[in-house]
Formats: sequence, C-alpha cells, structure tokens
Amino acid sequence: MRRDAGWWALIAPAFLLLTLVYIAPILQVLAISVLEPSPGLSNYERLFTSESVQRVIVTTLRICTITTAIALGLGYVLAYVIAMASEAARRWWLLAVLVPLWISVLVRAFAWVTLLRRQGVINQGLMGAGIIEEPLALVWNETGIVIGMVHYMVPYAVLPMLAAMREIDPRLLTAARGMGASRGTVFGRVFLPLSLPGVIASGVLVFIFSLGFYITPAILGGGRTLMVAEWIKLQILDLIRWGLGAMMATMLVIAILATLAIFARVVNLRRLFGGGA
Amino acid sequence: MSHALSLRGLTKRYGAFVAVDDVSLEVAAGAFLTLLGPSGSGKTTILMAIAGFLSPDAGTILLDGRDITPLPPERRDFGMVFQGYALFPHMTVAENIAFPLRVRKLGRAERDAKVRAALDLVQLTGLSDRRPMQLSGGQQQRVALARALVFDPALLLLDEPLSALDKKLRAELQEELRALHRRVGRTFVNVTHDQDEALSLSDQVAILNHGRLIQAGAPAALYERPATRFVADFLGKSNFFTAVAEGGRLHVGGIVLAQRDAPPSGAVLLSLRPEKIALLADGQSAANVAEGRILSWQYLGAGFSLVVDTPLGPLRATLPSWRAPIAPAAGLAVRLGWAADAAVAVIEDAA
Amino acid sequence: MTGAYRPGLFSRGLSWATVVYLVLPMTIVLPVSLTDRRFLSLPEHGASLQYYRSFFASPLWLDAMAQSLWIALCSTALAVVTGTLCAIGCWRLSRRSTDLIRALMLLPLIIPSIVYAVGLYRYFAWAGLLDSFVGVTLAHGVTGIPYVVVTVSTALAAFDPRLEQAARGMGASLRQTLAWVILPRIAPGIVSGAIFAFIHSWDELVIVLFIASRNVYTLPRRIWNGINENLDPTMAVVAVLLIVMTLGLLLLDLVLKRRQTG
Repeated sequence: MRRDAGWWALIAPAFLLLTLVYIAPILQVLAISVLEPSPGLSNYERLFTSESVQRVIVTTLRICTITTAIALGLGYVLAYVIAMASEAARRWWLLAVLVPLWISVLVRAFAWVTLLRRQGVINQGLMGAGIIEEPLALVWNETGIVIGMVHYMVPYAVLPMLAAMREIDPRLLTAARGMGASRGTVFGRVFLPLSLPGVIASGVLVFIFSLGFYITPAILGGGRTLMVAEWIKLQILDLIRWGLGAMMATMLVIAILATLAIFARVVNLRRLFGGGA
Repeated sequence: MSHALSLRGLTKRYGAFVAVDDVSLEVAAGAFLTLLGPSGSGKTTILMAIAGFLSPDAGTILLDGRDITPLPPERRDFGMVFQGYALFPHMTVAENIAFPLRVRKLGRAERDAKVRAALDLVQLTGLSDRRPMQLSGGQQQRVALARALVFDPALLLLDEPLSALDKKLRAELQEELRALHRRVGRTFVNVTHDQDEALSLSDQVAILNHGRLIQAGAPAALYERPATRFVADFLGKSNFFTAVAEGGRLHVGGIVLAQRDAPPSGAVLLSLRPEKIALLADGQSAANVAEGRILSWQYLGAGFSLVVDTPLGPLRATLPSWRAPIAPAAGLAVRLGWAADAAVAVIEDAA
Repeated sequence: MTGAYRPGLFSRGLSWATVVYLVLPMTIVLPVSLTDRRFLSLPEHGASLQYYRSFFASPLWLDAMAQSLWIALCSTALAVVTGTLCAIGCWRLSRRSTDLIRALMLLPLIIPSIVYAVGLYRYFAWAGLLDSFVGVTLAHGVTGIPYVVVTVSTALAAFDPRLEQAARGMGASLRQTLAWVILPRIAPGIVSGAIFAFIHSWDELVIVLFIASRNVYTLPRRIWNGINENLDPTMAVVAVLLIVMTLGLLLLDLVLKRRQTG
C-alpha cells in the first residue's frame, strides 16, 4: 500500500545491509561447497567416506551433548532457586548470571587457561597443599573444552528456563500443597511439567550455540581436540581446502536450522531470541 | 466554519469477516453524531476509516462534498480524542496541546496564545506544566480534548472518550462535552457502546450491529420509534410480543389489543417500553389491560421494576417508588394498562 | 513465589556452587595481573604494577585498543541507525512479511560466526575490503543489528501504538512522528541495543581472524595471538581492563534503565 511506503523505507537500509553484507557471503559459502574444487557433491561424499570428517562430527556432537546436559542440569537448579528467591535476592542472582554473559569469551578462555594449565593456579595450589604429586591434565583436552563451554552456556540455559518458571502461577503450587501433595509430588507433578517448555527452549539454544563454537574449544582444546568450527578454519586458512571447509560450514548451518525447525512447534523462537511482543 | 461529513457505501473486510457492511450516513455541519453499537459492531472501524488509519475496501468518505478517502490521516484535518487519550507521556500538558501546532510550524507566540486559549476552553488553566501521569482521568480527558481542538480541525473524532472514567465523572463530563460542542460549533463524531451517553450527547445517533447501519436519527426519534427489535432492545429496555391481526383486530394471548396504526392482517412484533405501562388502581381503566401476578421485582431507588406474568407473557413494568400505590411482592395480583399509542411495531432483525 | 517454596539445601548449595563457577574464574585475572613474577601466576612476594606499566607503555597494545574502539564506535552507529529504523518499521507494519524480516535480522545470532567469517573472507577479497577498517566495521555493524532489533522491539512492545496514530492524526509527518514521539519514548531501548552492539564489536574475534591481517589489528586479535604465542602476564592486565570496561557499560545500562522506570 502506498500509505505504508514510508515505513517500508525505514526497513530498507537494514534489509539491504543484511542482504549484501551478511546473507550474500553466507550463500556464497553454500555455493562454494558444491562448486569447488569441481562442481558436484564430491565434498558431501566425504561425509560418508572420510574418517577424519566423521571423527570431527562425532567429537563435536559428543562435546555438545555433554555440554548441553551439564549446562541444563546446573541451569535448571539455578533457575529454580532464582525463581523462588525474594525480589531483592533475585536481583543479585540475576546479576551473577548476566555479568559473565557479557564478559568477553576470549577473556574467559584466558582466565581458564590461567587456572587450569599444568603450571596454573589450581595445579600449583593442589601440589603446594600436597594433595597431588603430578599436575592434573585439566586443559588442552576435552575436559578443558567442556569446563569452558559449560561456563559460557549456563547463563543461556538459565534465562529461558527462568522465564518459563516465572510464568508458573505460584497459587498452583500452594493449591497442590493444600490438596495434600508432598513437596516432592508438587515438584514432580506440577512444577516440572509446567517448566518443561523452558527446559526444551534452553536445550535448543545451548545446543545450537555449542555446535558452532570456536574460540573456547580452540583455546582450551589446544589444537588436540578438534570441533567443527576449528576444523573449518583449519581447512580454509591452513590447508586451503575451500570446498571441504564450506561443506562443513553448510552442514553446520543445516544442522542448526533443522534443530530450530524441529523445535519451532514446541519452543516460541521469537521469545527465545526476544523478538519483541 | 463547520463541515458536513458523508459516508457512501463504506465497506471494510478482514478476510471473510465483514467489519463494516455498506454503511451510508450523512452528518450535517456542526452536528454531534454518535456511532452506537455493541463491541464488534464496526463503529470503531468506521471512525478509523474516517480518520484514515485504515482504508475501506469500498465506498467513499466526503468532507463538504470533497472526497477524502485516498488522503493519509495527516492531511484530513481532524482532531481526535483516543480511547485512553493517547497523551504523550514524555511531554507536559502544554507540549501535548502544542503538538499539532508545532507540526504545522506555527510561530512561538501564536502557539502559546492558542495553547492558553485551549486550556481555558477546557478549564485547565494553570496545569500547563504538569505531565499527563500527574493528572486525574477527567483532567487527562480534557487535555486530550484541548489537543484535539487547538488547531481548529474540521472534524472532532471521539473514540469512547468517557469509557475510562467512573460513572459520576462520566455524567459530569457528558454535560461538559455537550456544552463544549455548543461553544465550538464543530462537527463531532463520537463512538460509544454506552446508550445513555449516546442519548444525552448527540443530535444524531447511528445504531450499528454486525457492521451494518440499523437505524440513524435523533435520539428521541430512535427511542420512541425504533425500527427493529435490536434498536428497541439496545436503546433502553423493552417488552416484545407478537400479535396477530385479523379482521382489523390485533390478538395476543387471548386478548384483543387496541393499537394505533395496526396492520390490517398478518403477524406484527410489538415493542412496549416498561415505563409506558401503568399499574391500574381498582376501577381505573386503559385502552389495553392485562391482568397477572408479580413474578419478581427489584428496588432501583427511584423506582421499582416488576416482572408480571400476564396472558401476553411476562411483561416488565416500572413504577416510581415514591408513594407507590402497592408494596411489590411476588405473587401479588396486579392489573397493567397502556395506551393505544404506547407500543410500537418493530421488525425482527435479520440474523 | 516468594517464601512459600524455599528450595532445599541441595538446590541452594548447587546454585551457589554454580554461581561461584560462573563468577570466580574471571576474578583470577585480577591477582594474576598484579603478579611480581615473570610468568602467569599469582603474586609471590607482593603485588606489582609492572605489567600495567608495560601495557600502557606498549604502542602495540594501545594501538590495538584504539583500533578496536574506533571500529566498535562506527559499527555500533551503523547497527543502531539501521537496526532501530528497521525495528520501528517492522513494529508499525506488523504483518507476516515484516515478522519474517525481523526473524532474518536475528540470523547473525543464530548462524555461527565461523560460517559467516568463511563466507566474508571470499566475499571481501572479491570486493577489495579485506584487511580494511571499512570491511571490519561493516561486518561488525551487520552482526550487531540483532542486538539493536531485539532491544528496540522490546521497547516498542511497551509503546502505545495510539500515540503514533495520535501524532499522525494531528498532522505530523513520518519524520516528525519519529523525532518527537517514537524515538524519545524508546530511547532507553536504543541505548541498551547500542551498548550490546558495542560490546559485541569490541569483543569480536572470529570474523577479524579471517578478514583482517596487517592493517587492522584489533584488541581481541592481539589477545588471541598472546594466548597462542606467549602467555605473558600483560595479557592478564588486558583481561582486567576488558572486564572493567564491560562492567562499566553494563552498569551504565542498568543506571539508564532504572532512571527510566524510577
């Protein structure tokens, strides 16, 4: 409608910028995956034939699953405590969750290295106290990656679950207790089922963020445990195998969009990413 | 300086739902028109179409014979009082009222003078530096009125202007609004679902239901001569009964009715207002008499409302409570009477 | 839910442990930055400011910081202007197509930056924008849009659409309505979005790793190299400064929000 032309004009700059500077490069990645080194699906055949490709995928899925499970577990308990806390206490709890969210990933990874490496603060402390003889291998392996990734993901796990829990009408819990249910029953039969949509939302969010994670695994994995993001960087910047790298990048996008699509029915995506109303 | 508004065949659809269905209406210059109807009747849609916030699918809107249908809202020259007032919370009262003048790039001095005049008009002199949040509901409503009138618009549109106020304040502001209309002499179009407001404020009322215009006219004409059952029922209260005309006489429930302008034959639906039914004392008579017993009754302060079981079916009647001839009680036998011109023939509304 | 359901000891214990796990590791960089030893460690004999001195004496670090600051400021401006206008347009038109556009704007949050970085590397090579200030600013700007769209959309959700109608009805043009009615009301949301877009650019590493080399050397890239090459205690100083800066910005956001509601 002509009357709306002005409003469409407001959208145009962002839309053009996104299309030209964001979507076009991403589409180019998809194109490279089927065009290089030669047109065809040869890069995708490697998914079935190459052991190293499969190993990277399996490692990534394993680490993401473990990370998601631990982040959800810790996050659920934390969200539960925050939801039940008084107004004043809740503000402090939220601060403790939100501040780490905005601290640079790089700084956090660096802090973990400082703490966890062989000459790091933890190993030095434990050896100084005579608890261990040899330094523990806490970093530059999968353990280190999981410690760093869970640390990054817990806030993302807490927020959607907390939102779901805060929507639960507290009178329901009181009513259930009033009808003679024990604390355990109230939790299991009333609270848990009502908070489940939040758990799924958190799970989806943490899982898709974990899949493409680069900085933390790269630093805390020390190049020994490869996840897809670092593998892609390796293929493209170090080995100049554009087709293979682009194929994996495409698979990553497909995996993420597929996860979102599957859970779109269960999870209000708009709320997940805070799209307003 | 007032302007006449006319709607011709206005229609607005949302998918299969017809919000406004072929509505045509003439509003004389300087008149106060109220669009009255239940929620979902299309009254607000019509107002929004007049304002230009939505464009009709068919029909035209004319201001003094000039087609304004294709114009955007900012070029239509109307003032509007929104539901909830829509005062800008980040501006003071004066800044709110000055907004339309600022938009029109009026000079500082002229702007201040007009704002002051508008504040005087709505009797809010001295409150110009307050923020809307610091005002009472009634004061906010007056600021909204001042803001809508300050730039001398051709039309003033009011979207349920009194609905946010409590009952007493509403009655007060109804009178003020009426007086304001007389003072500024512009064409007002008001939307409401409150029949009392419609009757007391307007020169002209248009009754809408399901997007259709059912009847339009002066308030008294609508009240006294409703055209359809819906109008009779929505404006005030009414008893309904179907009588059958045969050989020049009207029958219902074994009673022969004396009814002015009765049709010679066929069935006719009659609407009879409760306040037009009198309670007959012994020996007193009326053109129509129905005997029965009180089924239930209510005390309403100024009067009683009785439901009497008669051969015509249950009839609602009201009688003043001051020196009432009877003390109402369930089961009490009473005689009801009404004149030959009390009931009005109405037609059943199409579904 | 206050009071009625005090969580059990286990829940509270685990929550405290989780919060300690979230917050404590980052605080370690403060004592480490004050170390008097030659390698990354806690101070041995007492706190020393030597690494702060060496940071502020190092043209490499200071230059990286200046570059990051410039890029963050420019890309934030780009994201704020385009993102705010887009959110307003989508909010006002509010139909299926604009919902889709708003969802598209969130793509940079969903798609991993590694994928974007790979694509951009080729794309910018073709466009001649590799290793340029403009290129990095564009990339950070476009990936900063979602933060602005989200915060501004949230602010708009609380904005009464009748205020816009009222303004238009009184004859205000689109430009006047934006400047006098809509923008003043959603300013806190815009500021929040700006703060988040700034932090995003200030901390961004993955894209820079791909599209920058000699000319554009941002702070995160300098840190990345530091971590991979020599774990020198100056790194801890940088970490402390970055944390302080982020906390400062978050505090600013909090203060502005409180002033708005208060």
